[in-house]
Formats: sequence, structure tokens, C-alpha cells
Amino acid sequence: MSTRWYPVYQKGNPQLRVFLPNFWLKIVNPTMKQPKNVVQFHCSMEMTVLDVKQYLKKIYDVHPVQVNTRIQLGKIRPEPYKSILTKEEDVKVAYVVLPKDQTFEYPPLFEKDDTKDKNVTDDMAALEEAKKGFKAFIKRNKVPGTPGWFA
Amino acid sequence: MTRMSLVRIKTRFCRGFDSSVGHIVRNYSVPASSEKHEKKAPQYPPIQDQFFKERRRRTYEKWHEDIKSIKTVEEKLFKINVPRYYGWKSLMMHEYQIPYNSLDQAQYITRTHLVKDMKLPSYYETLLGSDQLDHIVQEIRSQVEDAIAFEYIDRKREGILSENEFENRFLIDSTMAEAVVRQVNRILLANLSSKYSHLLETQVDYNSRLEAFWVVGGIDPTYQVQKCKENVPYLKKYANDPVDRHIQYKGKPIAQLRYDFPLHEFISLSESENPALTVPQYTLDPRTLGYSHEWQHGTSIPGFWPGDKSEFGGLSYHNCSYLTIRPKEYNDEIDALSTQSLLASYAWLLSQACYQGFSTFNDLTYPLVTQTIITNGQTWSFSAYQLNTTVVHSDHVNNNPRRNVCWITKPLKLFEKVENGKLVGFNEDVLRYIVSFYANAPQERVGINMKPYLGETENVVADIEDPERRAWLEKHYKHLVSNRPRHRLRPEIYAWQKIYMIDNKRRPMEKRREPWQFNINMGRRRLDDHTPEYIPKALRPGGPKSRKKWANTYYP
Repeated sequence: MSTRWYPVYQKGNPQLRVFLPNFWLKIVNPTMKQPKNVVQFHCSMEMTVLDVKQYLKKIYDVHPVQVNTRIQLGKIRPEPYKSILTKEEDVKVAYVVLPKDQTFEYPPLFEKDDTKDKNVTDDMAALEEAKKGFKAFIKRNKVPGTPGWFA
Repeated sequence: MTRMSLVRIKTRFCRGFDSSVGHIVRNYSVPASSEKHEKKAPQYPPIQDQFFKERRRRTYEKWHEDIKSIKTVEEKLFKINVPRYYGWKSLMMHEYQIPYNSLDQAQYITRTHLVKDMKLPSYYETLLGSDQLDHIVQEIRSQVEDAIAFEYIDRKREGILSENEFENRFLIDSTMAEAVVRQVNRILLANLSSKYSHLLETQVDYNSRLEAFWVVGGIDPTYQVQKCKENVPYLKKYANDPVDRHIQYKGKPIAQLRYDFPLHEFISLSESENPALTVPQYTLDPRTLGYSHEWQHGTSIPGFWPGDKSEFGGLSYHNCSYLTIRPKEYNDEIDALSTQSLLASYAWLLSQACYQGFSTFNDLTYPLVTQTIITNGQTWSFSAYQLNTTVVHSDHVNNNPRRNVCWITKPLKLFEKVENGKLVGFNEDVLRYIVSFYANAPQERVGINMKPYLGETENVVADIEDPERRAWLEKHYKHLVSNRPRHRLRPEIYAWQKIYMIDNKRRPMEKRREPWQFNINMGRRRLDDHTPEYIPKALRPGGPKSRKKWANTYYP
């Protein structure tokens, strides 16, 4: 199954005993709203629809009704300080449809910290104030040829 | 009246002012005030909401009124397509491709209440006495048994199907379904037409073209639509608003029976406004179920062209052999059959309603009814559908008080198996359902104007008197609904252009050639946005020297 080379034996310890296959599935938060019985995964490029089904059935005992996959193009963006464009890796996305009486909701992984939010808003307000003050400072006043602070 | 110019001003300095500025005129003979003027109350136009959404709603409403005021059926259907040269981006729904768990979505986009108790409406109980029904069933039972046994055992299909095709379960099932339906229809028409005179006038179509086009509102916007709106300051707050989707249904019935008059309604229009007739909400993008979009002109064709005398559907047979090739994991036969019958009935009735002058923008003034049978030759399910409303666009999809109603039975087996040249376990109940569908006689709706939005003398294009306009509309309507691709394909933005010219401006010195470089959206090209047909000099009506170079167009 694996396209990796089995590690060549080396004398001494520790030995490399864990050898993972190329197949993996990563559950992700769906980018667009999906029906309640649809779970979105990222999977390795080599996996087909059948592989995803088998993976879920054999390892997790999840029996999907249907699996659709697509390849999502990686983003293309300019390399900073260079004149070239670089492209991120493509990702294979798998949409796994569970039987309609089963549902899955992606859990909120990071609890929202309210105190942190408040601090941030306070900081933002202070920054806005400072911006306003600066704008007033550099604003052209009525007496030409004089600096902004000259009332 | 004496007039005296006091000052002369050069008009070119006063652009934008009233044209009377050139002369300042004092009319001495006109009195300073008159009683007439004082008494007359000022007439102001109604104050209209000038917000973006309201203005857009009014624009659409005007378009809908324009469609309503057109006199002929074909022109109405044509007019819906005029805003798009390359067709509408439509959600394609094919009859035999039913995604998993799509019943709620089908109900939502057709605003249909599905009656849960798996029974036909009580109207059928009063239609025929049980004695009469039994009598008819006994009369035709042996004929039906013989015919079906003949199709399953004796009919030779070696010349029709190749050897490989005999292995194809789907193909065999659909062939058998067609053969059985033809036999059953033949036997019932032959036996019942002496008792029920409406069957003598019935039109039967096989493998006819069933298409319907409608607009649904209330669907969540896609990522692209959201982003586009967020980038425009005055649209930013509408970025998450629900959007409309254009839906194109394509069906392939085995057979259709048409009558001159509509069937009797099951419930009245006022009953259809009962809030107890619930319709599920499914606002997610239909692509989440597996549907896809195509660019194509919206077509509404109920299996015949406008102008046919028998323009009301009575009964249609559909195939369910696609269930054999559906993945076994789905395990949703009843849901799939309900979805199929609901969509097929809605599409057929909607396209019939279009031929009566209604459309997805102009609502019905009376209900329409149809009966649908779905079969693979052995298993039969029966459904009845009443169309009460066709308007589901924009916010009507949630606010329209009327609902369409669908009744469907469980799938029933006509026979258990075929053995020794005979059918085993023949189920007469199935035959009873079929007979009651045929016995349901159409009635003329007295005192109802069936075509309120069509002209009195001009109903279809064939009624138009001007020969040139008639010929033009006929030719171009048929060409439009044929949905042939354009001779020149729609200009597209290639991937390299998107990468190197749009997202990252790496080729600034190149000459601009493509439409998108001039801010032209080719998807928005209008149907009438083209050079008219050239008239060669020799053929010009005013002689070769006449200036009339271009032929007339008659876009509605």
C-alpha cells in the first residue's frame, strides 16, 4: 500500500518500528454549509472514493452511504521580495455522506475567551482615539504655511 | 400676447438648464394668479422606496407584468429567456438521477406538502362503487395476466437487445416496464372506452419530452456570490441574503394520457392555504446533494407543442428501473419514488400551466391535477398531485400561502413471479388503482376563464396574423427550445489568464483583447444582443438599392 521505502536496517537502537502508510484522513470544518449528515475530510492525494469508504469502515466502523471527492487547487500567490509566483499544495477533499438519521457537527475547538475579547476591543478603541487625534493634528489648519498644532 | 426679450444669453453656456433659458420672456398678458390653478390639488406620483433592494424588486415585478401581458404562449416562454444569450445557469434535475436524502429539497423547491399516510385522496373512494370496480377488474384481469406473461416469457428480444445488453439489469427492467405499460394501457383503453367516453378522445404519447423551468428563491448564496457582494460597498450588507436559483427539470415518461379538459380538483384553492400543510425547509446549496449546474435556455414542454387541443394531462407512466443501479447503501426506495413522482408531477403540471398562460412568475387562478404511476413492470406505485401555485421565486418560496399537495401509495407488487408461463400471486389491488385512475373523468370547468393571461383571439404563435412575425417567432422559438450550442462558444477566462493577468498583474503591457478586460460579462449578454440577419441586395424588398440591410427581429 505504501509508496514509501521500508527503512533500511541499521545496526543499533532505537530501531524504526512504526511505519505509517500514505493513507490518512483529516476531519475539517466545512468551508460551506453542509447537510447535517455530511462530514468533510481532507485526505491523501492517492486515496479514491473506495479507499475513503474502506478506511472509515475498517478502522472506525463508520459506514458511509456515499463519498464524493474533489481536488481543491492550492492558492497561487507572489513570493515576497521576488518576482515569481508560488503555488501551495493541492488538497483532496472528501465529503462523506452518513445515513440520514446520523448527524455530525464539527466541535468548537477553541473556546472563546470573553475577557480577551474585551481587552482587544478596549485596545482597538484606544487605537481609534489615537488615530483621530493624529488626523486632527495633521489636518490643514486655516493659517497657511504653519504646522498643524498651530491653532 | 406681447412678448419682449429682455436679455439674450448664449444657450451653450446654459447646458443642463431648461431649454427656455435662451430667451428670458415676460408674458404681460398672463395674469399673476388664476383661480383655476389655486383650486386644483397638486398631483404627485406615488412616493416609492428608493433603496436598492426595493428598486430591484420593482424592476423584476415590471418584468413579470410584461410577461403576463404578452398574448401568446410561445412569446411568454421566449420572453423568460431573452435576458440571457448563453442561457440561464440552471440547476439540472434529471428524472432518473435522484440523489440520496433529496426529498426535503424537492418539496422545498416545489412548495409541495407530501401526505404522510401513503394513501390516495379520499376523492377516489367516491369515484367508483366497489361492485363496479370489482366487475371491471374481473373483466380485464385475464387479459392483463396474459399480456404480461407474454411480455415476460414469449416476446423475443434477441433482435432488439444485444447479448451484452441482456446482462444489463437496468436496461432489461426499463424495457420490460415500457412493454408492460404499453400492454396495460392498450387493454384498459380498449375495455373501458365503451363505459367512459372521455377515453375515446384521449391522446396517448410515448417517450415524450417532459421539461420544466422555474425559479426558486430562498437558497443560501454561494461563496463566490458572497465575496462579490462584500467587495461592493452598497451590496455589503446584502452579502448573506438568500438568492434565486433557476431550475431545469428533464423527464422521460413512458407514456402520457392527455384530455381536452382538466381533472377534478381534490381540494379547493382556499384549502391549499391551510398552514397544516407543512413544507420542509432546505435552503442549502443544491450542490451539497450532488446536483450540478449547466448553462441552458429555460424550456417548459409538457410533451406536446402549444396549440394542441388535448392540453390537460390525466395520467403519466414513469420508469423506476433506475432503482436497480442505485447503490444498495442508500436503502431509501420509498423516498426516491416519492421524490421522483413529486418532481415529475410538478414539472408536467407546471409546463401545462405555462401553456395556459401562467408561468413561474404569474400564479395559477385555478388548481390543476394529475395522476402518476411509477413502475418497473412488476412493482407499481401510484400518486396524485394537485398544483395550486407556481410562484416560488424570491421570498414567495416561504411566504406564498398556497401549497401544492402530493399523495403517494406504497410500492405494490402486481405479481410475485412468473412461473410455467403464468403469473404467480397476481394482486388485484394494483389493477383497482389503475382502473380508478382511468375512470377519473376530466370535466369542463364551467364559469372559469382558463386562459386569463392569453389573448382572446391570439393564444399561440400560429394565431398571429402577420406572416413574417409568425414565421420568425415559430422558427426562433423552436430553435431556442432545441438548446443547441451556439456556433461560437461563450468566451471564457483561461486559467493562465486568471493567474497571470487577473490575480497577479504580470503582463501589463499586453494589448487588451478579451471581453473581461473591458469589463464585459459575457454571461450577461442578452439574447437580442446580436447583429440581425443580413438581407442580400438581390432580396431586399425595396429593390437592390434600398437601404434596408438588416432583417426584422421580433423578440418579445
